[in-house]
Amino acid sequence: MNDFFVLRLLDRLQGGFRRMGVDYPVLRSILQLKLTMDGRRTPTVLAGGKESKQNTDGSPFRIQWIYLLLGLALIAFVVPEGNYLFSMSIAFGIAMFMISTTLISDFSSVMLDLRDKNILFVRPVNRRTLNMAKSLHIMIYLFTLTLTIMGPSLLVSLFRQGVLFFLIYAAEVILMDCLILVFTGLIYLLILRVFDGEKLKDIINYVQIILSIGITVGYQLISRLFDMADLSISFKPAWWQYFLAPVWFASPFERLLGETRSSNLTVMAVLALVIPVLLLAVYIKLMPLFERSLQKLAEQGVGGKDSGRLPRRLSEIVCRSKEEAMFFRFTWSMMRNERDFKLKVYPTFGLSLILPFIFIFNSLSSGKMDAVRNSRAFLFIYFSALLMMTAVQMLRYSTSYKAAWIYKAIPIRETAPVYRGMLKAAVLRLLLPLFVIESAIFLWLFGVRLVPHLIIVLLSLLVYSVLCFRLLPKALPFSEKYSAARQKDFTGSAFLQLFILILFAGLHYLVTLIPFGIYIYAPILVIANWWIWSVSFSDAVSEPRQIPTLRL
Amino acid sequence: MSLAEEPVISIAGLWMNYSDRMVLRGIDLAVYPGQIIGYIGPNGAGKSTTVKIMLGLVEGYTGTVSIFGRDIADGDAAYKKRIGYVPEVAEMYDSLTAREYLTFIGELYGMKRAEADAKAEKLMGLLNLERAYDMRIASFSKGMKQKVLLISSMLHDPDILFLDEPLSGLDANSVMIVKEIFASLAARGKTIFYSSHIMDVVEKISSRIILIDGGDIVADGSFAELKEQSKEGSLEGIFNELTGFDKYRDIAGEFVAVIGEGARHE
Repeated sequence: MNDFFVLRLLDRLQGGFRRMGVDYPVLRSILQLKLTMDGRRTPTVLAGGKESKQNTDGSPFRIQWIYLLLGLALIAFVVPEGNYLFSMSIAFGIAMFMISTTLISDFSSVMLDLRDKNILFVRPVNRRTLNMAKSLHIMIYLFTLTLTIMGPSLLVSLFRQGVLFFLIYAAEVILMDCLILVFTGLIYLLILRVFDGEKLKDIINYVQIILSIGITVGYQLISRLFDMADLSISFKPAWWQYFLAPVWFASPFERLLGETRSSNLTVMAVLALVIPVLLLAVYIKLMPLFERSLQKLAEQGVGGKDSGRLPRRLSEIVCRSKEEAMFFRFTWSMMRNERDFKLKVYPTFGLSLILPFIFIFNSLSSGKMDAVRNSRAFLFIYFSALLMMTAVQMLRYSTSYKAAWIYKAIPIRETAPVYRGMLKAAVLRLLLPLFVIESAIFLWLFGVRLVPHLIIVLLSLLVYSVLCFRLLPKALPFSEKYSAARQKDFTGSAFLQLFILILFAGLHYLVTLIPFGIYIYAPILVIANWWIWSVSFSDAVSEPRQIPTLRL
Repeated sequence: MSLAEEPVISIAGLWMNYSDRMVLRGIDLAVYPGQIIGYIGPNGAGKSTTVKIMLGLVEGYTGTVSIFGRDIADGDAAYKKRIGYVPEVAEMYDSLTAREYLTFIGELYGMKRAEADAKAEKLMGLLNLERAYDMRIASFSKGMKQKVLLISSMLHDPDILFLDEPLSGLDANSVMIVKEIFASLAARGKTIFYSSHIMDVVEKISSRIILIDGGDIVADGSFAELKEQSKEGSLEGIFNELTGFDKYRDIAGEFVAVIGEGARHE
């Protein structure tokens, strides 16, 4: 275990802790332990990236470059003079989004750690020490995160906008942290009171997904952020701004430093101060209730309702054999329930949804919408198939991968129906909804003339899904442990898959050059689909006749 | 052992209810040094609740619980220094190594880090885990985790041990070692409060057996005494008889019948 810098800092304050009735050595060991454990988690922002090596004790709050990048981008908002309400609202909006989603996705497991009760409460540790340790832990985390995101712009503001601006900014950052922390706590409390622990875990999972989407999409837009900072939109006070916390935080700047002097601004500036403090008071009052509600996390939820009708019907329609239908339903429900799968795949869903439009709008800047409408820019829709690349790759992983012994224990004669059922479920549950949404927007953008083209795209994507599957080494659904190291093995096939995808788009483009080309191309694709879906899964192709070796 | 001795645990008129149901209905109990108490009862009888109350994990009971002669409700957690606990589920901070975890627990009990470390290392070695000492607990097997849990409960030489299924996951050889450890500790005047569903083990190691059912103590005495009151020859039989459960044959019969229902698959 490392001797953390923060701990050495706290050592200087130990006299103060003692006077508060805190057992300092115990407090120190609890914090040291918690910080060590934090260093061994993978934060959501990096979840898609490399996994930290097994036995290195990283500093728990390694400054994540992605946050620092964002922190640097925020500088853009403190540079322009005047129009503070707009630029600071955006700055606080971005910061609040990042800090709160990160807090929820990465720190919830810490705030909601039930083991604390069984491990720490039974030992001779007084409650005051425990509560202090918990609060300090969260504060250290929040402080590091905030400093990374807000630090650069704070520093620049001191030199660019003067001392008063800097002081307001610094005070508000603290108030904002307060608001985020208390608000998160109160939301948890509410969810725990109304629903059960499983629901809370689901909600945390969705926040993680939103964070990942926010980061992947935000990454594409980061260059536009600077354009936005330069925008001089006059921000007229309106009633709905009362509901936007970032606007509260921006109002004091405008009120004290800008030209606008409206009573609305004064009220909102007061809100920025009063609401966090008020919520903090409520939160402290409700703290014991929170502790008691935590117990609910451990309780078994009441049985859910049977939501198996849709997959049952679908499996009857699209599957050839009973076994295939069985694995179709299995994959379907695993995709729905496995939080890790959702965390890894849904961000790609969001990205795949948006990527075609990012490309289109980038080409839009060069011309008018009418020009795009008549161009072949709709071919960008092929990029939505990135989803299948990730999904097919991720289908092999599960947190409960050890349960894959079941494949060995049950009498399945061949693996073809397993794979076919799996892939069909992925196509129907992920690709098809994505394609439907995408098509709807494309039809609206490009007009009805696109219908035949969309049919071609769909047919191509169906062939492409099978190719994605065949290019990767075979693995039974949900039978392997996720490891970033193994991910590297797939880089090669990922490039190949991307190449094939572009090939499909290119083919489509060529076909549009030939008169009536698509009406010849469509039947060819139908036959290709029929052929590839019947041939790819049979054991003659998948070399080893038996079930692939399980890595348990 | 003389009864004039001060009890280490004394419980009087302990009632406890969760929002919807009564869990404990007036438990009275005095436990003396050197006893190995087998605390048994059906699922949901209130066993773990009793133990959790004594550890200060559950609040909101009525009645008094005194440990080492002091009421535990007085807000002083110091009595926990002399208590060891093995919970039913092997909950640990498993991203830590065994060394990190055990020295941390030692420190919580007020031990010096080096002292806790040295002691834990020796104990791990004795249970054949010397090579696992610097590995993360997450990679341990069920039995290894259980051993770490046992060590963490005894590292500070407690006077009372609360054990919930302490032998689960251990192999036969380790079970023998651990049972012998319990017996020697009891001989040194330590008290062991042991709850389990494995009646054979309880029957063999307990000096006193307490059976609770529906939140009440329904039997209390040594195995020999319980056998005298009952016509059954084994603790399992006595358990069935006292908890009023005599339908096991019928249920098993029906179960097998359901398995055989329907058409044969190939």
